Amino acid sequence: MAELALQDVRKSFGAVDVIKGVDLEIKDGEFTVFVGPSGCGKSTLLRMIAGLEEVTSGDIMIDAEVVTDEEPFDREIAMVFQSYALYPHMTVAENMAFALRLQGMSKPERRKVVEQAAEVLKITPLLDRRPAQLSGGQRQRVAIGRAIVREPKVFLFDEPLSNLDAELRVQMRIEIARLHGELKSTMIYVTHDQTEAMTMADRIVVLRDGLVEQVGAPTDLYDDPDNMFVAGFIGSPKMNFLSVAATGPRQVSLGGLSLDLPQLKNDLNVGTEYALGVRPEHLFGGEGPGLTMQIEVVEQLGQTAYVHGRLGAEAQPVVVELRDQRPKTGQTIEITFDLSRATLFDAQEQRVR
Amino acid sequence: MTVKTHKTKPPRKRRGGFGSKQEQRFAYLMLLPALALVLIFRVIPLIWGFFLSLTNVDTLGNGDWVGFANYARAANDPTFQDSLINTVILLATLPIWVMLPMLLAILIHQGVPGGKFYRAVYFFPAVLSSVIIGAIFSVVLRYDGSLNNMLGAVGIDAIDWLGSSSNALGSLIAVQLWSTFGMGVLIFMSGLATVPDDIIEAARIDGAGFWQRLFLVIVPSLRPIIEFVAVVTTIGVLTSMFGLIYVLTGGGPGTSTTLPEFLIWLEQGKLNRPGYAAAISMILFVMMGGIAWMQVRIMSRNTNL
Ligand SMILES: Nc1ncnc2c1ncn2[C@@H]1O[C@H](COP(=O)(O)OP(=O)(O)OP(=O)(O)O)[C@@H](O)[C@H]1O
Ligand SMILES: [Mg+2]
Repeated sequence: MAELALQDVRKSFGAVDVIKGVDLEIKDGEFTVFVGPSGCGKSTLLRMIAGLEEVTSGDIMIDAEVVTDEEPFDREIAMVFQSYALYPHMTVAENMAFALRLQGMSKPERRKVVEQAAEVLKITPLLDRRPAQLSGGQRQRVAIGRAIVREPKVFLFDEPLSNLDAELRVQMRIEIARLHGELKSTMIYVTHDQTEAMTMADRIVVLRDGLVEQVGAPTDLYDDPDNMFVAGFIGSPKMNFLSVAATGPRQVSLGGLSLDLPQLKNDLNVGTEYALGVRPEHLFGGEGPGLTMQIEVVEQLGQTAYVHGRLGAEAQPVVVELRDQRPKTGQTIEITFDLSRATLFDAQEQRVR
Repeated sequence: MTVKTHKTKPPRKRRGGFGSKQEQRFAYLMLLPALALVLIFRVIPLIWGFFLSLTNVDTLGNGDWVGFANYARAANDPTFQDSLINTVILLATLPIWVMLPMLLAILIHQGVPGGKFYRAVYFFPAVLSSVIIGAIFSVVLRYDGSLNNMLGAVGIDAIDWLGSSSNALGSLIAVQLWSTFGMGVLIFMSGLATVPDDIIEAARIDGAGFWQRLFLVIVPSLRPIIEFVAVVTTIGVLTSMFGLIYVLTGGGPGTSTTLPEFLIWLEQGKLNRPGYAAAISMILFVMMGGIAWMQVRIMSRNTNL
């Protein structure tokens, strides 16, 4: 149970700035996910919160108390590593009880706490095995168990599921979400997988190149992104960006088609180029104005199919989501624009509202 | 639980291992030279030595079967008994042989300033032959040698490092330690490189301080390496101290630095008693075999780490 705040936190490795000033507030009990492309500094930021990485400048606060220079243990955080990081020479039970043993808890008491946690994670039969005798999924449960028994203020996860196969990943995702529901602890979860972020998070923090691009609930980021990076990063397949020219204060043209965007609060500069962002599911079966497109590639998933093609005289690539259809390569389909859901970005890739 | 997993194990591979018949024949062919060498230089001398130990031949080849008389004699030979006691003393210092390189390796690994320099310096004596090391230390440890001069400079009385029976074995052990611990440091360094950082970080998060991380996490994960170094060192000190003894103390004063290995040489070469020397060799062989067997068992018990 804890709140966490970062104030203008920065980190440099020598001359390389990795975290370039992050301000963030995480509420008590919130499940926050850090997402971003590889190398953007997610792990570094998490490790700074954990106390494993020194902070170059700025402050980290847990429960309104500055912990910037405290040892990891004194911050009362627990961390689950991507590589599990179990102690190879200890049994599962000893792994889970290690922190308690260091705190001087008696053996029977330790065993009781460990057994409780093992019950929750369904690893009771494994307690006397060593990590080498476990599967990847089982090891990850043990690593989570090791975190649980400490009853930390904040749980930190660094890509805990990325070494697991797809099916197990989905299963563990649900279990971690369930665990969060039961423990109601503050959790920070790092991933580069936007699906994990969307499905698990109360709030998502999108990072790019050491800076926060946007913070918000998953659906807010999806429906109302602040910039092209967030719009493109959240959602799979990616949002389509079509280059359009402004022909009026609230009107753009695309391939000879005039598109009205009455939701805009600010006037557009007539003649300027913008990027129109439309998600694949908002390009088919709607009421809006339309264009025809020839299908180049079909990704058929069963209920939905993603078709790839090119639009207009500039042959701009687009992805369209079709539901309950069996499209074939070479067919021509009618694209419709659901403009009420479309977003517009300027040349600086910022959202135009 | 475990029984179950054993049952579901896939059936063992076809006997004979990898490759076609032809390949296997070729493999045996390639093994032949090594096999012949082992046979000629190890197995045959061993058997021959055993028969020799049952005779009282001299170097001229005259002698008779005496059965186990040589062994009975060894049991009552005070020199041989002394050499065994010296061996026990030597083996009792084994923890130092293992701990010292381990601690130094951990310090270098933790990044003490100049670590790379120390590593090179520590390893340097390992490339010197024992005769050269013996020569160096006979100068250093002489009664009027440089060590005593140095001690004299800080007001400590000279100590007879090699000439007194209470110090000689200790000096000998110290010199051998000096000349070999660099290898241990290297082995431990490479072992430390295999201890993942995140385990140490996990221990930090679990609240382990420096010493707890060292003794509860790092050292236990080095256990296979500790055992490896222990075995190699044991065999090393039992079989490769001859040169040093020869140059530094000649087994003396008295029998205070006589180890079985040196005694074998004395009996065989100096005292012209090959039969008796062979008997001591057999005893040493059995002793070392026993120690090695024990250690290998301990090691294989931990292979699932
Ligand atoms: N110890 C270090 N020394 C120098 N540079 C580092 C160090 N650790 C990380 N970096 C750099 O900092 C940047 C951010 O690294 P970080 O591990 O936080 O990325 P990430 O967002 O977690 O990426 P991924 O998704 O691949 O795990 C990278 O460019 C990396 O090269
Ligand atoms: Mg990372």
